[in-house]
Amino acid sequence: MAHSFQFLDDIALADLAFEAEGDSVEELFCSATGALLETLADPATVAATWERRMEKVSEDPADLLFDWLSDVVYWKDAAGVVFHDAELSVRQEGSTWRLEAVLRGASVDQTMQTLRSDVKGITKHLYDVRQEGSRWYARVVVDV
Amino acid sequence: MTLNTEMRVNRITDEVWEIPATEKSGMVVPARIYATQGILQSMDRGVFDQVTNVACMPGITRYALCMPDGHWGYGFPIGGVAAFDLETGVISPGGVGYDVNCGMRLIRTDLTLEDVQPKLERLMTELFRRVPAGVGAAGFVRLNRDAFDAVMTRGACWCIEQGYGWHRDLAHIEEGGCIGGTDPSTVSEHAVGRGINQLGTLGSGNHYLEVQVVSNDRVFDPETAAVLGLTGQDQIVVMVHCGSRGFGHQVASDYLKTFEKAMRRYGITVKDQQLACAPFRSPEGQDYFAAMNCAANTAFANRQVITHQIRGAFAQVFDRSAEELGMELVYDVAHNIAKLERNPEGYLLVHRKGATRAFGPGSPDVPRDFQKIGQPVICGGSMETGSYVLVGTDRAVHETFGSTMHGAGRTMSRAQAKKSIRGEQLQQDMKRRGILVKAVSMSGLAEEAGFAYKNISEVVETVDRTGITKKVAELRPIGNIKG
Repeated sequence: MAHSFQFLDDIALADLAFEAEGDSVEELFCSATGALLETLADPATVAATWERRMEKVSEDPADLLFDWLSDVVYWKDAAGVVFHDAELSVRQEGSTWRLEAVLRGASVDQTMQTLRSDVKGITKHLYDVRQEGSRWYARVVVDV
Repeated sequence: MTLNTEMRVNRITDEVWEIPATEKSGMVVPARIYATQGILQSMDRGVFDQVTNVACMPGITRYALCMPDGHWGYGFPIGGVAAFDLETGVISPGGVGYDVNCGMRLIRTDLTLEDVQPKLERLMTELFRRVPAGVGAAGFVRLNRDAFDAVMTRGACWCIEQGYGWHRDLAHIEEGGCIGGTDPSTVSEHAVGRGINQLGTLGSGNHYLEVQVVSNDRVFDPETAAVLGLTGQDQIVVMVHCGSRGFGHQVASDYLKTFEKAMRRYGITVKDQQLACAPFRSPEGQDYFAAMNCAANTAFANRQVITHQIRGAFAQVFDRSAEELGMELVYDVAHNIAKLERNPEGYLLVHRKGATRAFGPGSPDVPRDFQKIGQPVICGGSMETGSYVLVGTDRAVHETFGSTMHGAGRTMSRAQAKKSIRGEQLQQDMKRRGILVKAVSMSGLAEEAGFAYKNISEVVETVDRTGITKKVAELRPIGNIKG
């Protein structure tokens, strides 16, 4: 699935921002995750030797996306890794949203990987997840 | 005068501007911005919106302030200062910044440009090897949970006990490198997980390690400079800019979440979600204060371990001990922090977010060595221009809760900067101008190009003319390490 996102020029002067979109909540999550992974390092230069399976639930897809992206940042520091890809499944179960994810990557290696910005966290500044017609959008500002 | 705001901005002096409390619903106090007219006109809309949002917070005293290096931030503007009454006021991670105790450290040497120039390439390579930088970089200090708890509670003192520095370093660090009132039980396991491997690492973004020159013609106050160990005569010094890394960020993120819920319970509303706060005396407020102090100590320790590595690199390259090279710590100062400080109104909780403490001569909180000159203030410019050493004044204590600027301040977004120049091109251009740059990320390097920042000299002139700090010397970069 192609990730659909763009980095925004004028939203965050000292930091980085992106807008992600998709035809479903799951596609939106995939696009936003793709943007975050690209911010950290070029995924094409990162192997998939490290893997972590995760599950999260929330009543609000915006909270679920925020917590998921924050978890990606957490594992970057806690495991000292950058990421190759993430396989995501997001579905609604009654009043809650469930995310099942497999995050893949490799230990940081400055000689092999094209490293970019060390994202310190996901912020609530101008954070927005919305549905317009059948399309889902998220605007995310990350602190670097 | 055209400004990026529709609010009324009154001139108090040529460098002090006030937005009256009537300009936004809910303002408790006026907002004051320190800037020349030129700097004020270049300030982004976020500064005006955010400093007046801060002026609406419960228990704020006198003014919400913004320094001349101010620009848009999360909650508070960068360059924001606000002091809160301890009984009626709040504490807010948005007034501290995500990178708790991000700060500046300056180390002097007896070396001159003539000594260092022939070995600069080797020196920068050795520094780059010893001080990890960039995404996911881990430090050489291996800590178990008990040791990390000790870092949280003892800060730079823990480092000295472990042999990472000299005992006299502590006298030249704000708060002696160890802030009290910590409680590791208020820190989440997530925060510990992010921080435990990062001691002694620079990070990325605008953080750096820089080798600089102090030339005679850029020493503005030779007597004060001499007290600081700055001799001019093309002397080499080393500047470090970094903070508490992922650990501090996680502490801030955790408590923003806690405070969002707590505000409903305490009936507090704020103008911006990133200003989430809790009464200082509440259990949530006290827990954040303790956790933030843990992060502040971790940042002092981080810069101390980096100093140890810098001394090691110089000793190896110049084949003399760091003591023989005169590598004394000039000073280490926080610019993202909230502290209990004495003010004319009594004790207040002073939030500084991209602003530096600037106490004047004779203050009991200024180290004995600097009692006559005031507290050293270290301000980092862009990697292409220069940085400054200043000293605090009594005027700052009376006007700005003892606060001043912290750096140049951005004027261009990271995304725009990357579109304007490639990192490799910038690295070559800087080399031609005598500045050797080692960077983990070329895109990260492009984001930090000099044109993305304000002219630091104009920012320094503003605080010098207002008298809230006095400039001592300008430092010119010759080598830079970036994440």
